[in-house]
Amino acid sequence: MIRLRGVRKRYTTAKLVNEVLKGIDLDIADGEFVAIVGRSGSGKTTLLNIVGALDTDFEGSVEVGDRDLRKLDDASISDYRNRNIGFVFQSFHLLEHMTCIENITLPSLFARGEGLLDKAAAVARAEEVLREVDLLDKRDALPSTLSGGQKQRVAIARALFQKPKLMICDEPTGNLDSSTAQAILALFRRLNEDHGITLVIVTHDDMISQACRRVVRIDDGLIVEGGGEFASRKPALAPTPESRAHDRAADDGKPDPAVPVMEATP
Amino acid sequence: MRAARLFRLALDDLKRNRKHFLLASIGIVVGIAAFTFFLGLGGGVRKVVLGKIFPLDKIEVVPKSFDVDVSMLRVPLANEIIDDEKVAQLRAIPNVVAVYPKMKLTIPSMVWGGAKLFGNNLRAELIADGVEPELVAPDIDSSYRFADFEPGLAKWDDWKTLPIATACETDKQCRSEHDDDQLYCWGSDELASWRDKVEKAEKKGKAPPERPDVEALCRYYIPILVSENIVELYNGSVRRAHGFPKINPDSAMGFTFDLTFGASMVDSSARDRTVEAKGILVGVSDKAINLGMTMPVGYVRRLNVEFNEAADANKYHSAVIQVGSKDDVAAVALAVKELELDVTDTGAEQAALLITIFMMVFGFVSIVIVGIAAVNIMHVFFMLIYERQREIGIMRAVGASRRDIRRIILGEAAIVGAIAGLVGVLMAFGAGDIFDWISAAYIPDFPFKPKT
Repeated sequence: MIRLRGVRKRYTTAKLVNEVLKGIDLDIADGEFVAIVGRSGSGKTTLLNIVGALDTDFEGSVEVGDRDLRKLDDASISDYRNRNIGFVFQSFHLLEHMTCIENITLPSLFARGEGLLDKAAAVARAEEVLREVDLLDKRDALPSTLSGGQKQRVAIARALFQKPKLMICDEPTGNLDSSTAQAILALFRRLNEDHGITLVIVTHDDMISQACRRVVRIDDGLIVEGGGEFASRKPALAPTPESRAHDRAADDGKPDPAVPVMEATP
Repeated sequence: MRAARLFRLALDDLKRNRKHFLLASIGIVVGIAAFTFFLGLGGGVRKVVLGKIFPLDKIEVVPKSFDVDVSMLRVPLANEIIDDEKVAQLRAIPNVVAVYPKMKLTIPSMVWGGAKLFGNNLRAELIADGVEPELVAPDIDSSYRFADFEPGLAKWDDWKTLPIATACETDKQCRSEHDDDQLYCWGSDELASWRDKVEKAEKKGKAPPERPDVEALCRYYIPILVSENIVELYNGSVRRAHGFPKINPDSAMGFTFDLTFGASMVDSSARDRTVEAKGILVGVSDKAINLGMTMPVGYVRRLNVEFNEAADANKYHSAVIQVGSKDDVAAVALAVKELELDVTDTGAEQAALLITIFMMVFGFVSIVIVGIAAVNIMHVFFMLIYERQREIGIMRAVGASRRDIRRIILGEAAIVGAIAGLVGVLMAFGAGDIFDWISAAYIPDFPFKPKT
């Protein structure tokens, strides 16, 4: 269980203070498949970074089990990320000078204690996850020789390498065509259903958000839909045509079509 | 993160960003090379100036002189002698490690020889002094010994009673018989010359000349040291005036010559007799007399007694005091003055100050260069970190701590620094060798030309 309470995040410059998150309360249960949606600048990625323990400079608390992430030092939180969280990004974020297998074994370089694998074991595990994403034949290929879908599958394989409990995905299909996006979505579903991995996905893609069991909508730093809901069932709050129109209009810089905004959860 | 993994990762990054690192390393190479070169040059100059020209851990003391000028003459009124009692007092001064008394040869003497080297035998007035062999031990060529081989003799000619003084015909015979290369056959030249004359007389049917009253015996050469000044004086001036060859002092070791004591080109001694010996060059030393020859003090003592008076055995003209530390020199100098002796003014302190300033300027220049290099390296690394933000972000996402990232960056910097530093040091050594070669080839000879 991930429990966020009163999470506020400000970016301060010399001239202005921009409050991106204005008090987020959110519970994500183990095994959930959650989409976070909202228009650009609403705070989705910031929230994702906080949930993924990439950003610990915020007000409020984020508890994972009985641990408060804000109270962990950098080494402990890095270890937590290494063992428990897999990240998937829109632009894949593969290291171009490394082969697929080297990219996938990258987390093993920073593993500590029980997570530490010798080289042979790391390669064996990398081959296992490559098989999982059906890319074993590309083990020694450089990312530059792969298609977008293949790159994203390598990124997913890297995220799976340490057998994470949570996968954080930031627009994972944003750079993919629709058929590839569907394949990636199918992979996410399988990981969620077969392996019980909790998936938190920031997306603008309706297909993804509709497939998620729960949708959390953010607007102007507040959760306006789906906050605090436990969603082991089909989402009660799927995005409506109006809300999607609102997001798209905001992304395109057009006037707000006046979709009613829900109150933030207390 | 394990060190081996860190090293591998850092090495991979270096390969990938080699152009950047090459640029960064140029600064380090230049900085370290300049720093090492100037340090070497400064050290070389310091070593020569303070070690040889003005040795600060050794001070030379002389009797206090009080002279009165009478017309063209300068009349000494004080006793210009250091005796055994004074030497003992000097040895008792705190922080004095050793006292090496020096005795001047006070009889007219000549040196002649050198036909093999110069084409003709040369004859020159001999000015000589004697030192304790321990004082000059480090300056003796490894093939030779600098010692009094005829110690404890009451009379000069008593050397003929030594066990080594066996009858001989040639130098070679002495050397093989006694297995010692510092021996020669004394008197063999005179006998060989007599034999030539006999042969010639017999050919001409004349009466042969009478055999000289000489008994050829094996004897040790007197080991001789000269100063670097005399070598430079010869190579710089004397040889030019006479068209003689330039001498390499290292190869001149073992050069032998004849010595005549009791008479010179200027005057003869009051005793109206002379003694002969042969000398052999065994070293070049900054502790040797500036113009003349230096031999073990025992020979000088016996000659002075032989031609003057017995009391001369105890009359030294100066003494070299070795001080434990350079810091103690001032206190020892003060104590010396209380014994009615003077410290020769070598200008050592001024030289030391000059060298310190010289080193500071070079050091400052080097530090500025290294500082500029450091800023350059810092700039390159900042640029690299900026360019690699995405990569660092990925590493952070997969579990790298700030410490891991810091270690990777510092590991890369350490590898670049170590390699560039090594190259810089090697370049400095190369530059030093080139500088030495240029100074040897183009800078005019002068005593104690320093090496980097």
